[in-house]
Amino acid sequence: MAKKRERLDVIKDILRVTRDNRQIKPTRLLYASNLSPQMFKEYVDELLKKEFIILLEDKKGKKTFSIAKKGNDFLEQYKIIENFIENFGL
Amino acid sequence: MDLLGWVTINKEALKILYGLIITIISLIIVLRTHKLYRISLHQGIRYFRNAFFFYGIGFFAKYVLESLAFIFQIDVIFIQIISILFKFFLVMAGFFLLYSLLWKKIEASKEDYPSSLFHPKISIFYLMTIIIVILDHVWLTHFFTFISQIIVFTLASIISLVNYQKNPQRQFLKFYFIAMVLSLIAWLLNAFIALYFQLNSVISISIFLINTFIFLLFLYGVVKFTNK
Repeated sequence: MAKKRERLDVIKDILRVTRDNRQIKPTRLLYASNLSPQMFKEYVDELLKKEFIILLEDKKGKKTFSIAKKGNDFLEQYKIIENFIENFGL
Repeated sequence: MDLLGWVTINKEALKILYGLIITIISLIIVLRTHKLYRISLHQGIRYFRNAFFFYGIGFFAKYVLESLAFIFQIDVIFIQIISILFKFFLVMAGFFLLYSLLWKKIEASKEDYPSSLFHPKISIFYLMTIIIVILDHVWLTHFFTFISQIIVFTLASIISLVNYQKNPQRQFLKFYFIAMVLSLIAWLLNAFIALYFQLNSVISISIFLINTFIFLLFLYGVVKFTNK
């Protein structure tokens, strides 16, 4: 059985897809994240609140997500953070 | 002059040196992990940092301020206040360190507290710590502090052993387990000398050396895993 993704891995996956797509629609990000809609909403709300991603809305009301500076910083440091957390059992 | 005699004569200076070493190590750990926390906003890193923040304050108060107060013969009430503060910070630091290993099982993923120093779950530790410090102060003993920390480090040793067995490829988990066992030994020794000996210099120095080694081990891990 595949190991359940850790919270930090899910965040990394969402951020990576958002960064690679520059701007991504919520539905596409939901499919790419491989989460249930409810879990997806929780993660996205958290990422928006922590300013890792931003929600853009054009004149027609079409919504897209884009990565913010904090999100980019997180991805750059992800390996170091993951290593630290796992080596200290945090 | 033998080593023990030299240590006895320079006791206050050595205590200041010991306090400064532990304070500086704690400060480096807090500063080195700041960036990791700022980027990840990971609660475990937050509680781990709090533990060393509290250790830093506690050891500085006890071994630097108290020794200076003793040398300059400042009012005895000041020394008593420092002793109480030292116990408070030391016990809370132990709780924070244990909680950094347990928080995932206790906090739901939705919980997001603006402060890691004050929130409902942590307030239980504050309450327990205040009770421990008051009981020790009223009964003029260290018994409750010793018991609390022996329990904390027994649990931390078990958890860190389980973590290591689950993930043996993570090499620092083994050192973490060693650090927890050494902490437990240091607390058991502390309790032992308090109960059976009064101020035994050899055992006290051994505890200082064990503690310094534990903090250096953590410093090694933090420096190693925060370097790019």
